[in-house]
Amino acid sequence: MTRVLVTRLLGALAAMLGASIVSFVLLRALPSDPARLIAGPLANEETVTEVAARLGLDRPLLEQYVIYVRDFVRGEWGHSYSAGAPVSTLFGQRLGASVELALAAFLIAASAAVGLGALATFRRGLADGLVRVVANAAMGTPPFWFGLLALLLFFELLGWAPGPGGRLGSSPAPPAATGLYTVDALLAGQWATFVDAARHLALPAIALAIAPFGYLVRLLRANVLDAARAPHVTVAVSKGITRWRAHTRHVLPNASLPTLTASGMVLAQLLGGSVLIEKVFNWPGLGSLVVSAILRQDYAVVQAFVLFSAAVYTSVSLLVDLAYGALDPRQRAA
Amino acid sequence: MRAALRDPQLLLALGLFLALVVAAVAGPWVWPKDPLAIDILASLEPPSPAHPMGTDDVGRDVLARFLRGARISVAVGVAVTLVGGLIGTVLGLVAGFVGGWVDVVISRVMDAVLAFPPLVLAMAVTIGLGAGLVTASVGIALTAVPWYARLVRGEVLRLKSEQFVEAAESLGVPRLRVLFKHVAPHTRTTVLIQSAAVFGYSILSLAALGFVGLGAQIPTPEWGVMITEGLPYALTGQWWIGVFPGFGVLMGVTAANLLADRARDLLDPYGELPAVG
Repeated sequence: MTRVLVTRLLGALAAMLGASIVSFVLLRALPSDPARLIAGPLANEETVTEVAARLGLDRPLLEQYVIYVRDFVRGEWGHSYSAGAPVSTLFGQRLGASVELALAAFLIAASAAVGLGALATFRRGLADGLVRVVANAAMGTPPFWFGLLALLLFFELLGWAPGPGGRLGSSPAPPAATGLYTVDALLAGQWATFVDAARHLALPAIALAIAPFGYLVRLLRANVLDAARAPHVTVAVSKGITRWRAHTRHVLPNASLPTLTASGMVLAQLLGGSVLIEKVFNWPGLGSLVVSAILRQDYAVVQAFVLFSAAVYTSVSLLVDLAYGALDPRQRAA
Repeated sequence: MRAALRDPQLLLALGLFLALVVAAVAGPWVWPKDPLAIDILASLEPPSPAHPMGTDDVGRDVLARFLRGARISVAVGVAVTLVGGLIGTVLGLVAGFVGGWVDVVISRVMDAVLAFPPLVLAMAVTIGLGAGLVTASVGIALTAVPWYARLVRGEVLRLKSEQFVEAAESLGVPRLRVLFKHVAPHTRTTVLIQSAAVFGYSILSLAALGFVGLGAQIPTPEWGVMITEGLPYALTGQWWIGVFPGFGVLMGVTAANLLADRARDLLDPYGELPAVG
């Protein structure tokens, strides 16, 4: 077990190191000159050189890389000139909104996928074919376009949902504890604020859940079909238990474990997808920060986000890997 | 072949695919309106016989833009699949066949690229190269390279221990010839299936990059850009501007995914799900 732990940790560290090199190369080797961008198109050569010196761009590449990694680890992620604040401060203000959105989307995607996946594999045939098409279509739906459809239907046409305007309507923000407005409101016992926050959360979370839902259904289906072929299931069925009982007791638990490992993949979709969804719904999280930074060419923010998402992605994959190892005894020997 | 015709999922995929290609190739001839022609007096018109998909905020014909968008998406999809597939396959072949430190270097670099969420990495590359249709395609192709490389490397490792490869080597066939004549042809199925999935991925990613302003630029009739243009009008009821291009993306990506899915079942029952986000 210790050996597995160490191997996985080293693997994750190597991946992070590689990712930092990739994003450093993207930062330095590509044609656009960051000093020129900051100094502006009208600045003379002298000013550009000065800015480059202040950014440390005149030092040897290896030294620049070491400083880059050191600053990232220390949380010094540069300065956003369009917001006039350190990037880490901006991230801190907006992280809660993004985490709340991602968690809600993950819950929706996972519960819908388990429900439909269980049904599809129990009743093969028409239901199965239908679910497969739905899952493929869900993976093919541009999430930002689904957001637009949801706004059209539930805001413009039916008037059930609030418009694309942030996390709350008229209620004041709940006292900060977790940064997730729905949870904070419940903790403070503010029922009206909770309802308000949940109403604002619903559409963006569903729109963000669509793609991971499709992915999870497909994966669960494949894993269920795999688990159903195991000899112990055949034995159980031939001993006379019902097909439904065999399905829920012997097949689903074994199939859900490998599906768990896919959560890392799902997170990748949530990180990329939230950039798009937050723009549609004006959700004040990291994604909309990144989109507005792109439009203002404020690249310190984007670069921090790129490496940050690699860090999150790698650590979640690691955690899932370890959880898988802890839950499945066969993995411990490997 | 006959079995394929009785397979509803495969038929649906092929039908959607055919519709997309026909729209891309023949569309601008069948509906020869200029996708960029502005007609302020005819702005924001709902769908009608003169404008089957309506007009946008400056009176451009949405159908003409939709058809031109199909051409852009298919072109980028083909380009990304070819370039990303070629580079990834060669890297995978070399890593698996040569082994040793070459394999270590290639595999580590691929791992580093895989440590990023694909869309975020494509965004970063596009920003570095300057936003645009071509740079966005480069960014998307780069994120697809490791998927090919990993799959092909795994196949090569399996094939290397097959008897026919050992036989060829012991007969003194040059190593390069063994690689390209005896090993590479057997990775074809894997690469083809992966390519169908990557084709869909690139259409979706191109639209996503266009949507955040990094792909094609306004007023290019690219589907993601068109959805961005339609977003503010969705709140005031002019739904047709943003809804139709989304159907285009949905059609293209679903066709590609269904095709990959079904082809995997039929041709390669032991293949794993591709890591396409």
